[in-house]
Order: sequence, then structure tokens, then C-alpha cells
Amino acid sequence: MDTIDIDKKEVLRYLGYKNQILDYKTDKLIENCIFEIQKLAEPKYIYSLFKVTGRENTISLDNGLIELKGNAISNHLRNSEDCVLLAVTLGNFIDTKIRYYEKTDMTRALILDACATAYVEQVCDMVCNLIKKEDILKNKSLTYRFSPGYGDLPLDIQKSFLGVLAAEKNIGLTASSNNILLPRKSVTAVIGVVEGNCKHNAKSCLNCNKNRDCMYKKEV
Amino acid sequence: MGLKERLKDGFIIFDGAMGTMLQNTGLKTGELPEVLNIRDKQKIIDIHKKYLDAGAMVITTNTFGANEIKLKTSGISVEEVIDAAVLNAKEAIDGRNAYVALDIGPIGELLKPMGTLSFESAYDVFKRQIVQGVKSGVDVILIETMTDLYEAKAAILAAKENSDLPIFFTMSFEKSGRTFTGCSAKAMVLTVQGLGVDALGINCSLGPIEMEPIVNEILELSNIPVMIQPNAGIPCMCNGKTEYKITPSEFAQCIKGFAEKGARILGGCCGTTDKHIKLVSDIIKNIKVKEIENKSISSVCTPTKVVFVDKVRVIGERINPTGKKLFKEALKKGDLDYIIREAVSQVEAGADILDVNVGLPEIDEEETMVKVIEEIQSILDVPLQIDSNNPKVIEKALRIYNGKAIVNSVNGEDEILDNVLPIVKKYGAAVVGLTLDSKGIPKSAEERFKIAEKIVRKAESYGINRSDIYIDCLTLTAAAQQKEVKETLKALTLVKEKLNVKTVLGVSNVSFGLPNRGLLNRTFLAAALATGLDLPIINPMDISMIDVINAFKVLWFQDENCENYVNVYKNSSQEMTKSALDKNNHNLFEIIERGIKEEARSETLKLLESEMPLDIINKHIIPALDFVGDKYEKGDIFLPQLIQSAETVRSAFSVIKEKIEKTSECQVLKGKIILATVKGDIHDIGKNIVKVLLESYGFEVIDLGKDVSKETIIQEAIKNDVQLVGLSALMTTTVCNMEDTIIYLKENCPNCKVMVGGAVLNETYAKSIGADFYAKDAKESVSISQKFFS
Repeated sequence: MDTIDIDKKEVLRYLGYKNQILDYKTDKLIENCIFEIQKLAEPKYIYSLFKVTGRENTISLDNGLIELKGNAISNHLRNSEDCVLLAVTLGNFIDTKIRYYEKTDMTRALILDACATAYVEQVCDMVCNLIKKEDILKNKSLTYRFSPGYGDLPLDIQKSFLGVLAAEKNIGLTASSNNILLPRKSVTAVIGVVEGNCKHNAKSCLNCNKNRDCMYKKEV
Repeated sequence: MGLKERLKDGFIIFDGAMGTMLQNTGLKTGELPEVLNIRDKQKIIDIHKKYLDAGAMVITTNTFGANEIKLKTSGISVEEVIDAAVLNAKEAIDGRNAYVALDIGPIGELLKPMGTLSFESAYDVFKRQIVQGVKSGVDVILIETMTDLYEAKAAILAAKENSDLPIFFTMSFEKSGRTFTGCSAKAMVLTVQGLGVDALGINCSLGPIEMEPIVNEILELSNIPVMIQPNAGIPCMCNGKTEYKITPSEFAQCIKGFAEKGARILGGCCGTTDKHIKLVSDIIKNIKVKEIENKSISSVCTPTKVVFVDKVRVIGERINPTGKKLFKEALKKGDLDYIIREAVSQVEAGADILDVNVGLPEIDEEETMVKVIEEIQSILDVPLQIDSNNPKVIEKALRIYNGKAIVNSVNGEDEILDNVLPIVKKYGAAVVGLTLDSKGIPKSAEERFKIAEKIVRKAESYGINRSDIYIDCLTLTAAAQQKEVKETLKALTLVKEKLNVKTVLGVSNVSFGLPNRGLLNRTFLAAALATGLDLPIINPMDISMIDVINAFKVLWFQDENCENYVNVYKNSSQEMTKSALDKNNHNLFEIIERGIKEEARSETLKLLESEMPLDIINKHIIPALDFVGDKYEKGDIFLPQLIQSAETVRSAFSVIKEKIEKTSECQVLKGKIILATVKGDIHDIGKNIVKVLLESYGFEVIDLGKDVSKETIIQEAIKNDVQLVGLSALMTTTVCNMEDTIIYLKENCPNCKVMVGGAVLNETYAKSIGADFYAKDAKESVSISQKFFS
């Protein structure tokens, strides 16, 4: 996979930046870290298309192996006949390097962590653009990415989610017994396929249950 | 004929994929194929039969994921699945001359430090599979598709310690030549061959064409039979389905090539079917078996770094409490950060290997050794030399070490040789042999040589390769035994010439008790290198010693084209002038405010010449910190800027601490706080930010790390008499463990208060789980602590 640019604005948002004076030293450090993450990351992805079968609070997929429970996901997929399950990871090296800097240079660890978070989202965007080009998706569009743990979609589907994508074998992505994705900088997400152009369903901080006190909230 | 005999002079044909055959008959990705051993056993038996008909001599049980973690929700036990699977395989064989391999794949969860599963739990998971496999009567254990060397080690140890069966082992590599977790093929060969498997190799992930460079690498290094099970090409997604493109005949041609080069055990992985195996088994009949040469290669490794002792390699000596007050203090307090800093700076200074010695009478050496090794290997890839004279400590260390280590040391005493060498052999380590015995260090070179000879003989009798023995001819002190200093170098020459082993030597002892020690050390080092010393044990922070080695490597043609030398020294004259120009004019307040960590040390040292440590803290550091903290709270600066200032303060503090330790005139610390990320949670960057801030404000932080059990927290709170515990959790799923910890803490240490923080918490939530304080960010944890201890 080619290297993908990292949006510095996003990195700053993850660092809690609110238009303070960005001194030269910190600014350079962020640029360094962006460069370092692009070298360290080994982005890998896997996705698969499924038919949405169940409704009403529980979405089933046509392979019969996973159920997506909750109002939020039902709402997310309300206009979708099909959906994509996606898993993306940046690999283990970033985790090791962040651990290293946590012992030697905490500022760098903090910034590197934010860069990796921004990067994995951008890799997801890139993969979504690839998915859109699939023949079966002609004249259709994709909703935003909805991940286990958002709203009332339980986190404990993580293992079966990875299972149906054989994500461990294909991209080396696993979940711990507490459903934490490992390597750490990874994403799993459900994306709805909808007819025509989809604009009504953009991702927004307003729908999040941390909306009131989140330091990463996007200013509208 | 048993499998082991067949391995000596013939090829062994394995079967191809089980999963692919099952998917062809309707198995969906994500379904557990192991369940079919019981629910649809005829299907499994039929697949085995197809492979046997195609010519497979060994068939692999349908138990790849039959471990307790993957079967957790299936309702079937590991034992039931494995027993049924072995029965199916035996039924398929039905009297034919073929063998059953117990298939063992990865657990499916990552081990520490990448994940949360402990090494010993992983061992137990594998043990359960192996015990049942042996009971059900398999002929060989196949550990395959591993991507993590540490997990592989747990599986191999479980197999070795719970069966006498042959063990075949394969890992899956990406095109890059590394596994998902970064393990290289070389590191795999060196490590698992040392652990005593019967065959090793590569499977899955790649097709036979992409695999070739990695197969070559493995064949070049391996002293044992090599096993190859490629996929039928690189999988590609076509209309949402995985397809493999290589035809059976192309596949067989590639396998033929591998067999001619020396691979011995051949089969297929994903995408291969009985058709592939049939052609492989036909094509192999006309190939002559290639003998396996014994390659004598001295090396040590971690999963991501292999160090060949083919030129001078530096062993860093700093992780050792002997004669170091601060180091001893750190060991007693369990301050691993201090030790880690020693490790990091040695690697940065150019050490290739680190010696690890934590022997101190007041501490539990075994426990500390394990902690230190785990901590080092969680952030650094440098290979380690385990330095202890206690066989128990050595064994514990070798067990949890990830890779191939060196043991330091044995000597000519029979009791020590007989106690330590079997451990070295079992874990596949290299070993340092000191040329001394119960009578002490012999004066003459010849006598030292005799001891070396004995050590080599003994080690070889235990099955240790000569290339894994490093002889130390022992440096004597010129001030006390001037005449014998030269004998060391004479002995070194004898050992190199007559025994053909590598040598190791601690150098700095030579100058003890004399002025200008550096000069003697450098001169002795140069002489020893010229005599043939391979592994100098030195302080790599001493640049002049590294200079000698860099120069030596040029003169002895170990640094081709002087590449390293030029790299290191090309700018040396300019840099001197530059750093002289850069001389700062900032005072400590400004240095802290701007977060210029590099300047904090020298400025603090300068201040210490004229001011008392406490005055520096109160008049310079605290006002600067308050100023910065205030700016952060007002939103004038953001988190990275605050942390830079805090880290700057920390390095100023460490200078002050050193000074105080020397004079022990006063106590500067404001109070002890335990910090931990709760059980199950491994997001600890937030906790670490809190730690940096608290330390910069002068609190003593006992950092218990991440994924910490409530028992450990209580134990440490009681042991260290701690009144304030900070807990962090970042997931809704781990907040329950936080609540659990708080309840347990209140029961067992009623005087202990708890402050909590983490993304999913808020004030109300924190109160509802019983926390005394809620810190919305790192800065607030400081305010809480200041109030608490005032």
C-alpha cells in the first residue's frame, strides 16, 4: 500500500489543540512524528460484503455467523440491503515504538499516538474509496463507518467480527479477552451500502454519547 | 520405520489444506471447522483419505484452532475435539503406512507485551492440547502458522515438556520476510532450532514463488530438516471470494525446486488440494535427498534482531548493581524505569548485546530478573546476556526470554557445569565459560587454556554446539597482578587457535586502582581485539572505548569501505564548534517554560554549584511549573507543550536527586502515589502522562503498569504504605474491573483513597463506582494530589 498523507489538523485535534500558539519546537516534532508513523506503519485491510437480513434491533448477516444488536446499528443500516464489514490495522511496530517513547520521551509518545490515530482513519478512508469502486457498488454509496462500541452496538462482537473476515490470518488483527483490538492502532467497522448518493448520514459528534465532555470534539 | 528415521534420509510428504477442502463443501469463513470432527466426521475422514490416496505420508488432524480460547463458545471441550479428530485421522489411515500429526495453530490472542495473554497462560493453553494429543495417540506434533516467536516458544516448550514425540514447526511470513509481529526467518531458525524441534520451516501466507527467498534464508541457516507448506499462490479476492491461482503442476514444480535445494518435509497450505499433493508426491520420487550440513554460526537474537558474532560485537555492562548506589536503590525500590534508561542509553551508544545482572542480596533475584527482561524486551530489540550464578535464576530468565540469549556464566567446576549446561541446552542459548575453577584463576595461560578445553568438552557432551560457547580468559588488575595481565591475552590466543571458539572479555577490570583508568582500558582493549577478542564487555557510554572499536573495525577489515567509521566521524570537528556556538543563555525557568529538555541537566548542575537543592526546587522549578500549568488551564498552551515542560522538570529533578542521594541531606519527595491501568485494559498512555506530571511536581510515583490485577495493587499499596492510588480505565468494558479494584481496595486498605480517570468516566460515574476523586485530565490529578498531601 502506498503511503497516505496524514492530515496535521486531525493530529492536532487528537492532541486537544484549540488554536493555541504552536511553537516551532512542537510544530517540528509533530511533523517528525508524522514522518515516523508513515515509515513505521504497515497498513493492512480486509473487507467483505454481506446481505443484511434481520431488522428491528438486531441485524443479521447472510452468513448467519454474526448478529449486530442495538438501535444504533439498526438505524445506521436502515436504508441498506447490503453492508460491508471492514477491518484495518497499522501493525505492531507502532505499538512497540510508542511503548519505547513512553519510557524515553513522553511528548513524542503522545504525538506519535495521535498521528497513528489520525493515520488509521485515513487508511480507512482510502480503503472505503477502493470499496466504492467495486463493480457491485455501481450507482451506490457508502454510509460512514460504524464500529463495535459505538452507541449501543456491543463491543463483545469483536471476536466474531474478526472471525468472519479471518482477520487474524489475513492481516494479523486479533482481539484480547476484553475485546481490545491488537495491534492497537486498528479499526473494525460496519458500513452500509445505500442506493444513490448518501449525504443524510454523515458522521457527526452530535450522535455520540460522549458529546458533552469530549476533548476531541469537532467544533462545528 | 518411524518418522524420525524417515527424516534422516528421506522426504516426508504432508497433506494439503483442510480448510480449503471444507470450504469447497460449504464451510463459511468464521465457522469453527473443528466442530465438524464430531458433527460431520465422515466429511473429515473423506478429506484425510483423499490426501492419503494422493500420497501423503502424514495427515494433519483437523485441530488447528482446537484450543480453549477459540472453542470457548462452541460448547465442546478441547479434549473432545482432539480425541475425535485423531480418531477420524486413524480411521482414514485404516492400516496404511501413514502417520497422524496433531495440528496446533496460534491461540488467536496476542501475548504480552503486544497483547494481554501471559506467556505461562499461553503455555497452559498449548499444554492442554498436547496432553490430549498424546493420549489420543498422535505420532508427531505440528505447530504451524505461527506469527509470534514468543507464542511459538510457549508451544514448543509445552510440547517438549509434555511429550516425547517429534515436533515439526512452521511460521508464516509476509513478502517482507517477516511475520505480522515482525519476526524474521533467521530469528525463527536460531531460536526454535535451539529449543530442540525436529524440523522447522515456513507455511501459509505466500505461494511457493513468493516464498523462495525466505526458503533460501532458512536453508542457509538451519541445521535440522526444513519443512515447506506454501499456499497455492497469493490469495486474491474475486467477487468477494478468496481464490488461489497456482495450478497443481506449477505448485509441484516449485516444490521440486525446494526439495532439490534441501527441503525435506513437503506439503501444502491454503488453496492446495489432493491434486497438488498427488503431483508433489509423484515428482519427489526422482529427486535425490540432499544431506544437511552442520553450519557453525555464532549468533544471538530477539525476534526482530539477529546479531551474528562474525565481527567484534559490544556487550554493554551497565545493567549491574556492583558498585552503583543509585542502581542498587532502584533495584530495591523496584524502579524499573531507571534500569530501562540504562538499557536504552547503552543501545543508543552502540551496544549490540546487553548483559543483565540484578544480583543483590536484599532482593528476590529470580523475580527481578524476570521483570527486568520482560521490561527490556517490551521496548527494545537488543539481544540479552543473562548474568547470574544461580541456575534457578538462569532457567527462569531463559524461559521468558524471547529469542536466543547468552548465559553468563559457567566455569571449570564440575558442579556448575553439570547444573547450568543442561539448562543452556534445553533453551538453546549460548554460554560464557570462565577460565577459573575451585582453585581460582590460574596464573599461566596454559592452565587457563586447560580449563577452557574442559568447558568446551563438557558443553559439547551436553549437545551444545561449539559455535555457542564463548570463552572468557579473565582480565586481571594491573595494580595487583601486573605480571599476569599479559597471560590473559596469551590464553585468548591459545583458545582461539586451538579450540576455535569465540571469546568474550570484561575489559575495565585491568585499570582498577590506578589513575587515568580510561587510558589503560583503551590500550588493553586494543591489544585484546588484536589478539582476537570477539565480544568485549564494556561501558558503551564511554565514547573513547567505542572509538577504539570503530577504529579497530576499519583496520581489521570488519567495517567494509569504512562505512560506519565515516558515518560516525565525518562531522566530528564541525559538531564541536556547533555545540559550542549553541551554548544556551536560558535560565532554568525559561528552559522549563519552553520544554527544552536537553538543557535542563546542565543548567541544574550549574545552579547546584551555588544553591541548595530545595531552593532550586522552590525558587526555580515550582514557579515555572505553576506558570506553565496555569497557561494550560487557561487554554493558552495544549497538552504536548505541558508534557514537554513536565519532562524537562523531570530531568532537572533527576540531577537534584543524584545530588541528594550523594549527600543524603534531605527528602524532597512530597508523597507516594500508586498508578495503574486496571485489569484487562492496556491503554496506558493517559496513565503515563499523569505519571510524568506527578513526578514533575515532586511526587513519588509507583507505576504498576497496565493490565494490573487488584491483588497486585493492594499488595503494593500495603508494602509501600501508600495512601493514594490512581486508577485508569479507558474502556466501558474495563470500568467494571476498576470498580472491582476499588471495592477490594476499600476492604483491604480502608485508609487508602482512590482517584480515577479515563475517557469513559465522568464525575458522577466515578462516584458511583466508589472513587474518592475524579480527575478529568492529567493536570487535575496534580491538584488532587497536592490537596491530598497538604
